[in-house]
Amino acid sequence: MSNKNSNLSILFKGLLLENPVFVLILGTCPTLATSTTVIGAIGMGLAATAVLICSNMVISMLRRFIPDTVRIPCYIVIIAGFVTVVEMFIHAYLPSLYETLGVYLALITVNCIILGRAEMFAGKNTVFKSALDGVGMGLGFTLALLSIATIREVIGAGTFAGIEIPVLVDYKIEFLQKTPGGFLIYGIMIAVVYKLTHGKAPKKTKFGCESCPSFSVCGGVKCDNTVKEAK
Amino acid sequence: MKKHLKTISSLSIICAVVAILLAATNHITAPIIKEQENEAAFAALTEVFPGGEGFEQIDISEYELPSTITEAYSEKSGGYVFKIETAGYNSGFVIMCGVDANGAVTGATYIASSETLGAEKGYGDTLIGSTKDTIDSVATVSGATKTTGAYKNAAKDAINASVILGGGTVDLRDEAQILNDNLSAALPDGEGKFTSLFITEELDGVSAVYKADNGKGYVFISGENFIATDANGEVISDVDDELKSSISDSAKKIIGSEITEIDISGYENMPKQVAKAYKTTSGNYVFELKAAGFGINGDAYYNPSGEHIIIKVSATAEGKIIMCETLSQKESEGIGDACANPEFYSQFNGKKEANYREIDAISGATLTTNGYKTAVSKVFEAIKILKGDD
Repeated sequence: MSNKNSNLSILFKGLLLENPVFVLILGTCPTLATSTTVIGAIGMGLAATAVLICSNMVISMLRRFIPDTVRIPCYIVIIAGFVTVVEMFIHAYLPSLYETLGVYLALITVNCIILGRAEMFAGKNTVFKSALDGVGMGLGFTLALLSIATIREVIGAGTFAGIEIPVLVDYKIEFLQKTPGGFLIYGIMIAVVYKLTHGKAPKKTKFGCESCPSFSVCGGVKCDNTVKEAK
Repeated sequence: MKKHLKTISSLSIICAVVAILLAATNHITAPIIKEQENEAAFAALTEVFPGGEGFEQIDISEYELPSTITEAYSEKSGGYVFKIETAGYNSGFVIMCGVDANGAVTGATYIASSETLGAEKGYGDTLIGSTKDTIDSVATVSGATKTTGAYKNAAKDAINASVILGGGTVDLRDEAQILNDNLSAALPDGEGKFTSLFITEELDGVSAVYKADNGKGYVFISGENFIATDANGEVISDVDDELKSSISDSAKKIIGSEITEIDISGYENMPKQVAKAYKTTSGNYVFELKAAGFGINGDAYYNPSGEHIIIKVSATAEGKIIMCETLSQKESEGIGDACANPEFYSQFNGKKEANYREIDAISGATLTTNGYKTAVSKVFEAIKILKGDD
């Protein structure tokens, strides 16, 4: 029962409590770049989710095989491989999405969320749990992109998924489509999520490793001894 | 050592497996991506060649095509589609143009442009059906002469390229090159560098005179003939005696002619359009005139950008214009700037006071034409004043 609960917790924590964008503050660059349209946001979110699930599973599978000294290069090769595969498939079957995402599709390789989850979670957990973490974090990333994109597209362009919204299209605030508008919405969303999860999200009790939102996952294993002493 | 080997081998194995995975994915997706690219290219091709089938790219490096042609596709029925990179107002104007088997334009559209395109966007449609013989009669868009002119030239290049690809030959030289080649053929010693001379003497049947920059001689254009003389005016081209004698006389007049500036400040009645006046040894006159261009009405500048058109005119003492030339102007681009076109100002050559008005005005530039004509008319007045003084 507790194992089942633990699995569910891994799956759902990425959606809100440990949302990679709003709580862990990872992947800010693709978030701001691809959240101008809902279609682009969903495409980017799902592409990153696919890469996240596959890379998490493979890295977890190979965690005993990969020597610790070359783990980051190995992770990068695996992630880049999956990103290229996803990129090729999107280019072949969804060419318009490929055009929309542009260079940011290839840049999923260096998305901190994916490398971060590989390092913090998949490298230490079972394949199943890593897959759940990939799904949870991927959907959390997609949800975050979708929520920001909805606000930016509806208010900034007067459309939703490219469909014009009567009245709003005449009173659009184009500033929200620009980068500063993206930062503004991003900041507001972080504040809203913080308010919603108040008392539940990882608290910043101390500066240093312990204050990191990912502390609940890594437990400070990679950090210096001061954390362990504090424990 | 064992640890190092494990590190190297594990990273190598991961790289190899990823490479195999990518190769497999590429094997699946590459044909689909290629097909999509072909479809996109085909869509652009059929847009300028409606109903075209079986397009195949041609290796243009095997042919000597106009330099603006960057890609060429053959069509099943014998037509071609060309991608042309040219310069309109700015560089980087890319046009697709289709030409059918009969050498007529099937369509032209721009696919990339750094221009600010307005009404000229649909200009390609006006070129449909044009052939080598008719394309020159297609008017450019007023106010966008450079861009639409570039469009038209691109279509001309496409027509020429289709002739070349079809096995024909086309003279790809522009007018200036053809002129220079003819001058060089007449006077090889000129080494391809010639300067047009402003004619101040009445020459029999000669329309233009060029002097070799190295001083080796002159070339006289008489009708279709290019006749060369040496620096002393001796005809060296192989022509009949009559023409030889006529050109020889003309050459002597040109070489012997010297001009002296007349101080016009003392002439109270001298028209204000006359800026400078000269007299030749043979008694002809040369004037530098300031014509009121667009933006100048009489003496008043109603447009701050108004500038005078500077004109040089030579005339006989009897009041017959020998040669008229626009030296400088800042008239509206694509409209009044036609006053710098030899086709316009050469109309005054041979005109007298009685008939100088009988010239074709510049379309859409009445003020410029009137200012120009008024200035030229002052030549006749000035001659009378100067002659009266003599």
